[in-house]
Amino acid sequence: MTARPAPPAASPDALAIETRGLTKRYGGVEVVRDVSLRLPAGSRTALLGANGAGKTTLLSLLSTLVSPTSGDARVDGHPVAGKPAALRRAIGVLAHRPMLYEELSALENLRLFARLYGVAGAEARIEELLRAVGAWRRRDEPVAVLSRGTHQRIALARALLHRPRVLLADEPETGLDPEGVALLDAIALATPGLTVVAATHRVDRVQAWATGLVRLDRGRIVEDSASVPIAASAAHTAEVRA
Amino acid sequence: MSALVRLAGRIFAARWVLLPPLTGAGVLALIVGALVVAPREVIEGDVQRLLYLHFPAILAAYLAFAIVFVASIGVLLTRDLRWDALARAAAGVGVLFTGVTLGTGMFWGKPIWGVYWTWDARLTSTLVLFLIYIAYLLARAVADELDEQAARFAAVFAIIGALDIPLIMMSVRWWRTLHPQPIVMRGLERPALPLEMLVVLVVGFAGITLLALWLMALRGEAERLAQRTAVLRAALDRAELHNAGGV
Amino acid sequence: MSAVRAVIANDLRLAWRDRAGWTTAGAFAVIAVLLYSFAFDLAVGDPRPLLPGVLWTTFLFAGVFASAPSAQRDVEGGTFDALLLAPVDPVVIYLGKATANLIALLVVEFAVLAVATILFGIMLLTAPIAGIVIVGTAGFVSLTTLLATLGASMRARGMLLPVLALPLLVPLLLAAVRATSAALGLEAGTAPWTLLLGVFALWSTLIAAILFPLAVER
Repeated sequence: MTARPAPPAASPDALAIETRGLTKRYGGVEVVRDVSLRLPAGSRTALLGANGAGKTTLLSLLSTLVSPTSGDARVDGHPVAGKPAALRRAIGVLAHRPMLYEELSALENLRLFARLYGVAGAEARIEELLRAVGAWRRRDEPVAVLSRGTHQRIALARALLHRPRVLLADEPETGLDPEGVALLDAIALATPGLTVVAATHRVDRVQAWATGLVRLDRGRIVEDSASVPIAASAAHTAEVRA
Repeated sequence: MSALVRLAGRIFAARWVLLPPLTGAGVLALIVGALVVAPREVIEGDVQRLLYLHFPAILAAYLAFAIVFVASIGVLLTRDLRWDALARAAAGVGVLFTGVTLGTGMFWGKPIWGVYWTWDARLTSTLVLFLIYIAYLLARAVADELDEQAARFAAVFAIIGALDIPLIMMSVRWWRTLHPQPIVMRGLERPALPLEMLVVLVVGFAGITLLALWLMALRGEAERLAQRTAVLRAALDRAELHNAGGV
Repeated sequence: MSAVRAVIANDLRLAWRDRAGWTTAGAFAVIAVLLYSFAFDLAVGDPRPLLPGVLWTTFLFAGVFASAPSAQRDVEGGTFDALLLAPVDPVVIYLGKATANLIALLVVEFAVLAVATILFGIMLLTAPIAGIVIVGTAGFVSLTTLLATLGASMRARGMLLPVLALPLLVPLLLAAVRATSAALGLEAGTAPWTLLLGVFALWSTLIAAILFPLAVER
């Protein structure tokens, strides 16, 4: 337990993500079944599993896009029930699709979301991120004319724009060249205290960046090396309070 | 309160025992009453006997649409698809009885007004209502039974439609009006309709309402079974996919 | 408030980038007005009393058809999800989208009014008519925006949207046509049609704003 680096106090009990019996049923099929996780702040979790194992749905439950059928979840200390704005402010989402307006330029896309998130010093932040992901030179071109890889880089910039404490990523490598993948790792790893939960099918790369992994099979957790046991976090809480 | 809920629950549980005989008796009484017991109307003649179907049918339709409204709110608030099954069943029955009202109205209107259709306020607003709930059924029918999002979309539409009804009626009434004012009751002291006719009409209400409830129960059960079949099919599909060893 | 403005500005920018869509809606509206007048001219000689009805049915069709594609792109591209993830109330997103649709549609409608003024020799660009067009359009855009956004992921949405929206809009159509006729001096204003128009616009905006957050739930 003590080997784990002290997580930043993002939430009172230092768990970035905590779910209890989280279940989502679509048309009678439980896509996510009884998922209980305790992911400490600052951890980086790889979410593994075959297509249809429930990875995307689990991420959507955590991002509040989908409401659970039963069970509950807290992200950065905020319950997903009621979809509080504070929760949505605390997370950055990198989806399977880039979620960008194709008719608009990278700059216009990021400016829209900077305004919606109320990002202070938006222009400087946008420039910083677009330079970091290597899309600054093509910032004024409509996204539609850029490559899939560049889309995903801009999407990463969009996800990190408001300095989220938790990054939820759904197969972010899709469409990225090796260089882009390295970039993704570099940025995610370089952000201090950022909790990452990323669904991935690149098992070979998990070692490089993840601190733990969770494997799903037909909605259920079949392997979990990412969660901290309840006792550990209680002890940790006691330690912090002392 | 809880005793009332228990009673309602018991009645609901007994619907398959109670509804068929009661409906049969009610509809039989309506047919006998309308064709035999009720006197021949002096001016309009036998065609006036359509009243005993025409008027109860529209009330049954309104009852059904009220159920669609409540069930649609249930869909939005609880995401329980049983509400969706109820809403669909009630909408179907409501459309059926609105159609009966429009149809009997046409056959009644032809000899009395000389035309099958006239753009009178009540006819027009009933027609608009008919179209709204047909649209509801279409909106729900393009997606499958277990599509929660389609159920929510249809529920939103049904709620807007129900709340639109007063506006439709007001606007259409201002637009034009020809229809005879209701002459069932003109003040409590002097019923405008002769007593026998009134009695048959009340029997008609009972018979048609029971028929509507029974049809709704059957339709709702059919929708529920369709939902459960879809659930089983999905589970089977998943199981076979798993057994195939692919994942 | 700033968030509403951001959504409005963004949707208008998208509408401008994709001018073809709205230009098509405008061209459709002008052609429809022309076709109606050709068709009725033969029958009635003076088509002017029919003008309010022609204009409003055209506006409704143009509005219903024009609001669907942008909503569909938004939902299919995932950008609608991105908006829902932003820490703003879903009502803000709805109001922004409805307002942007309203503005874009008003541009189309005033272009049609200008063309019709020339073709029919009736001054249609007056303050009362402008007021009626703005309130009336607000009344139906609020509902078409809601239905188009929610229905964007459904099959058969192209034909479904008019079938769903138009029966709901009967009161609005009646009120708008009569109010426009009265404003043109074609008939005496007997019933308070303008009032009904305003009530409908308020009602539809309110109900759509209440239902939108419930309806985008998944």
